[in-house]
Amino acid sequence: MKPVSKIKRLHAQMTAGELSCRELTQRYIDAIGRENGELNAYVLQTAQTALDTADAVDAKLRAGQPISMLEGIPMTLKDNISTDGIATTCCSKILQGYTPIYDATVWQTLKHENAVLLGKTNMDEFAMGSSCETSFYGAAGNPHHPDHVPGGSSGGVAAAVAANIAVYGLGSDTGGSIRQPASFCGVVGLKPTYGAVSRYGLIAYASSLDQIGPITASVEDAALVFDAISGKDEMDSTCTGARETTADQLTGEIRGLKIGVAKEYFDGIRQPTVKDALQKALQHFQSLGAQIVPFDLPILKYALPVYYILACAEASSNLGRYDGIRYGYRTAHYNGTHDMICKTRSEGFGAEVQRRILLGTYVLSSGYYDAYYKKAQNLRGTIVGAFHNAFTGCDVILAPTVPMTAFEKGFTAQDAVETYLTDICTVPVNIAGLPAVSIPCGADENGLPIGMQLIGNSFCEAVILNAAYSYEQTADAFIACDRGVR
Amino acid sequence: MVTREEILDIALLAKLSVDEEKLDELTKQMMDIIAFADTINAYEGQTGEFDNINGLSNVFREDTVVASYPREQILKNVDGGENGFFPVKKKM
Repeated sequence: MKPVSKIKRLHAQMTAGELSCRELTQRYIDAIGRENGELNAYVLQTAQTALDTADAVDAKLRAGQPISMLEGIPMTLKDNISTDGIATTCCSKILQGYTPIYDATVWQTLKHENAVLLGKTNMDEFAMGSSCETSFYGAAGNPHHPDHVPGGSSGGVAAAVAANIAVYGLGSDTGGSIRQPASFCGVVGLKPTYGAVSRYGLIAYASSLDQIGPITASVEDAALVFDAISGKDEMDSTCTGARETTADQLTGEIRGLKIGVAKEYFDGIRQPTVKDALQKALQHFQSLGAQIVPFDLPILKYALPVYYILACAEASSNLGRYDGIRYGYRTAHYNGTHDMICKTRSEGFGAEVQRRILLGTYVLSSGYYDAYYKKAQNLRGTIVGAFHNAFTGCDVILAPTVPMTAFEKGFTAQDAVETYLTDICTVPVNIAGLPAVSIPCGADENGLPIGMQLIGNSFCEAVILNAAYSYEQTADAFIACDRGVR
Repeated sequence: MVTREEILDIALLAKLSVDEEKLDELTKQMMDIIAFADTINAYEGQTGEFDNINGLSNVFREDTVVASYPREQILKNVDGGENGFFPVKKKM
């Protein structure tokens, strides 16, 4: 099956008068009603908001006014992207009842384009997890096998897109949280270059690593959404915006493209079927005229501990704001302000969030700062340098997204460190601030999707998306999921 | 090696309460996680100072006064607040 741009197809149908936006939106609302009980992808549905927007789009169409490509397209947002007047909880008890009074820049942009928001989607609490199981609202399911996880932390978005109960969605990626669930659910997930998309209004986990990006059913859709949400933003001083648009550069022509392959990425693959799929993908790229360039990246083995030290250190600082005073959950019984804050945080945060806050506080504390935080920060610089060096010899790097396919629910509860190891292929990209796209490249013996990621140099989203597009349009490796709106 | 006492100290810094019955399990989990973090100290190569990924230095702008959010809007998340403030119990 060769995916086509769902956004373009729906846009064409609406502008040709074959489909009203209300009819389209109602189909998605009905599909959510049928599917969400099993998948738990949505933690909040905004049907009336969606229908009101749809009516506004239909009014424009009836008046003969042009609509933009994303106008009227039903979509979803991860529950850590702030939405003015619509609850945003990071799927945490501590943000129960919290309703932002402002929009994240990405949502402000899409809202301005009359994007049809179907609801907010499930995630690991505060984006800390790889399975969507640490959500206060309960685990989400994988549309291909509901007993398996959809991945995380943007698992709800990936499940919604794979099950076709949203055309596309926005997730956030701190250590793989867009790409890993995209891989597990058989959809496309783009983690943009750090600084290409504004983080304003994204509830922070680790500010130097977080980045918002699209999860879509096709590469072209990812490019269209990325082009819409990228841009300089004065509300985020680290956001310089993308250097170029991408959707207009999807030619599928990759002759002469140099694809770097570091064996260190492949050493940790746990399933032979995943390794086989990656090897076949490499051969396919060669058949399209790409050149494979092997290289060594030994520093990669330090990426995971560096990531967990830095991410947890930043999290311990970012999550210091949750004190029960200004918004969200507050403990019922307390004796003094300090007791109130401690009890609120201990009752409001889940176990994984508390573990990460404790690790972050530990590595920043006196006596351990130099040995852990400072050393990790400097090693980050070495990893950044190693990637820059790699890109002097290749245009993109191909790697597995995850060393395995979607695991069964319950796996992550067994051993925290064992779970962290599943992030081995995704975190280096965040450490180095690079763009990467995960696309499906086959399925395992149980029919669960396998993903590969194409990593690019900074602000080279157009290069990786075009490489992904060339593969998507010629390899027949996408895994259909017969659910949702048909 | 991290001790129960260190976990309690760190929890105090992080403003978290740790139940006595969960302390042993949490200490063991933290020992495993810190041992994992400790693997970076096996790196023997040279590293330089690293600041941030974008190479940004301080980002300054003109200090101009702009409109803020209305107080009643900010207090919406605490049921409107009390007398225009965030309410907490009297500490006496």
